[in-house]
Amino acid sequence: MIRTEELLLNVGPQHPSTHGVFRIIVKLDGEVITEATPVMGYLHRGTEKLAEDLNYTQIIPYTDRMDYVSAMTTNYVLCHGVEKMMGLEVPERAEFMRLIVMELQRIASHLVWWGTYLLDIGAMSPFLFAFRDREIIINLFNELCGARLTYNYMRVGGVKWDAPVGWIDKVREFIPYMESKLDEYHRLVSGNEIFLARIRGVGAYDAQTAIDYGLSGANLRSTGVDWDLRKAKPYSIYNRFEFDVPLGKNGDCYDRYLIRLEEIRQSLRILKQAVEQFPSSGDVMGKVPRVIRPPAGELYVGIESPRGEIGVHIVSKGKAEPYRLKFRRPSFVNLQILPKLLVGETMTNLITILGGIDIVVGEVDC
Amino acid sequence: MKGLLKGLGVTLKSLTDKKVTTSYPDVPITMPDRYRGIQHFEPDKCIVCNQCARICPTECITLTGKANPDPEKKGKVIDTYDINFEICILCDLCTEVCPTEAIVMTGNFELASYSRDELFKDLKWLDDNNSNVRQDNNNIGAPAAAKGGAK
Amino acid sequence: MSDEKEKELEQSAEPKSEEAAPAEAAPAEATPAAAEATPKPAAESAPSAPAAPAVDPEREAKLKAAAEARAARAAAKAAAEAGGEAPAAAAPAGAGGEVDPEKAAKIAAAAEARAARAAAKAAAEGGEAAPAEPKPPSPKQPQLDEAAALIRASVAEDAIEEAYINELNDHMPTLVIRADRLVEACRLLKTRTGQDYTYLRNVSGVDYETHLEVVYHLVSLNSKNELAVKVKTNREQPGIPSVVPVWETANWNEREIYDLLGIDFPGHPDLRRIMMPDDWVGHPLRKDYVPLDPEV
Repeated sequence: MIRTEELLLNVGPQHPSTHGVFRIIVKLDGEVITEATPVMGYLHRGTEKLAEDLNYTQIIPYTDRMDYVSAMTTNYVLCHGVEKMMGLEVPERAEFMRLIVMELQRIASHLVWWGTYLLDIGAMSPFLFAFRDREIIINLFNELCGARLTYNYMRVGGVKWDAPVGWIDKVREFIPYMESKLDEYHRLVSGNEIFLARIRGVGAYDAQTAIDYGLSGANLRSTGVDWDLRKAKPYSIYNRFEFDVPLGKNGDCYDRYLIRLEEIRQSLRILKQAVEQFPSSGDVMGKVPRVIRPPAGELYVGIESPRGEIGVHIVSKGKAEPYRLKFRRPSFVNLQILPKLLVGETMTNLITILGGIDIVVGEVDC
Repeated sequence: MKGLLKGLGVTLKSLTDKKVTTSYPDVPITMPDRYRGIQHFEPDKCIVCNQCARICPTECITLTGKANPDPEKKGKVIDTYDINFEICILCDLCTEVCPTEAIVMTGNFELASYSRDELFKDLKWLDDNNSNVRQDNNNIGAPAAAKGGAK
Repeated sequence: MSDEKEKELEQSAEPKSEEAAPAEAAPAEATPAAAEATPKPAAESAPSAPAAPAVDPEREAKLKAAAEARAARAAAKAAAEAGGEAPAAAAPAGAGGEVDPEKAAKIAAAAEARAARAAAKAAAEGGEAAPAEPKPPSPKQPQLDEAAALIRASVAEDAIEEAYINELNDHMPTLVIRADRLVEACRLLKTRTGQDYTYLRNVSGVDYETHLEVVYHLVSLNSKNELAVKVKTNREQPGIPSVVPVWETANWNEREIYDLLGIDFPGHPDLRRIMMPDDWVGHPLRKDYVPLDPEV
């Protein structure tokens, strides 16, 4: 007779579909997973420990490198936390620049997610389309702050650079272009029968599980829970703009897919309004003391990054360096549900589910 | 089936789109003015205030100064200035705090080398690196800060 | 000063102008009633009062204003219900019974405790407790009091070591809870109606040089209220019961704190290192961490 054994497979740290150096030890019975254990820490760079020796402006380049796909939101959460602690006022033009940049970043991040997710599932062309469009956004950022990926753009009290001449017009032109591309992407992929068969009903969980596991972002909203920090706890000037928060029903990968694409559309909507209301003059940096010293105390603040809730917990003793700086990273928390979702799934669905959670390993490991 | 055909239609239509690829090594890329490439250093402007070394998050700048050889002038003159390019993260904070714009970024990003020794940039190299020097520095540390073009 | 107190009372929502006059008499009434009927909360709140954080004079004035407003209400209720202690004692027994008298009794108990504490402090400090402009009571103070009273009543009288408002952080109510009562208190915070903090946002460990601390940040998805819970532990044998049975999301967060700070979490399903390699010695995020092998 045939003797079957359980196979221990290492979806190893070097793998094109794990979105970074991330390892899953999988126990297989044939093709069905019986147990999955994620192992991480391959990209742990000790940002939190380093931050205890650096002052806040010096930490900002480090935050870029944590969630490198969505660096602007990570920059922002640190600056926002320190500004709240010190009670600083950010000038309006700076707030607009921040919002425009964060929404562009959200679109760029979702494009990366879309392209790589479909690449993992097996489709090659959406990847190239997504990166072509992301290249436009990256070039806009390049013109704005001089870097394509690690921007170091936000400062405590404002932003570093003002928009160069003609930049806002370029953003304005980008919006209808991206809207037409988004429709094209839907035509390309969202109706594709093979794609639907692979993704519908996969990795489903209900709202109570999602809340218990502390999921955030599209992972939480795919179950129908209406929790978007831009609306629930508004920060920056989000309360001036109208936008919807897409919600799902079943909590499966297909809902997350549709929600993220719809979030691109809503981001374009916010951008359109922001570009209309952009103040024509103003400072981009508020009145900030020479040395940034938040008063003693602690603070936790969270904002909505493309992956979920990114938060920073600052404990300060009144010095120029933080006493303890802890980042609440969405990818880290969202990944906890992976072992639970994978039990009973096939190996092919492992990649689908992992991609649907949208992790960036730089953030998982901090 | 219908979804597949629609998708195929999109793919075929993109055959007629404008090409966005560039043939990079043959056609050089010029970065926008604000691009943060390797630094350019002008020793004459440096007043050895040490701000750049202090603000560097990775502590990759080491510099020493010596007393001004001209006995009438006060202040220090730069003697050695090294950037350990292995750990420089091109964050631009050093140019932000320099009061005299002695150190500025350039647009040079093709910096791969065959040995690690070449990555330790000294004063001479940084001084010679004067192509594509960035014009718009938005120097918050400089007294008369020239801000970038507002709309 | 007394005019100001009356003005405070008139400005707060409930007491009408007729109550302003007996309000002067009410603290005197409430104090002996509180001293007799609730010796235990007074005794435990007195040691915790000196442990209150640094914003003392303003906080005391704020507490006093809020307490006197409540004492006015509580005195009326206490007189009617023959002492606030009896319904409060009945509250743990009746889980999920009638909400209103229970809540009112808890508020009364907390108010009496506070009035006793405020009166004791006022007697101790003489007239200096109320500065020129008393700070308005924090908008989140009622939320904090409700949570604190809930835990004091249902878990244990001394479960809460400190309860204060973190003004720096948008007035976030903060409770410092004793480690051995943590899981019960958290279960209460998660499930009791009106205090359904179902979403644990963040768990961080902090190394103060004298002790270690873990902070839990909670939010309620329905009412958008926030709460922070802190637990202290010592450095030699740090251990805090795991809240994984209450919120599953604490799982990896606690593993990370164990890995980087060395705090043990008994009750955790799978406590092992998560960021550092499995055979690493030491806990890197501690302030006194010296790498065993400084190879980097």
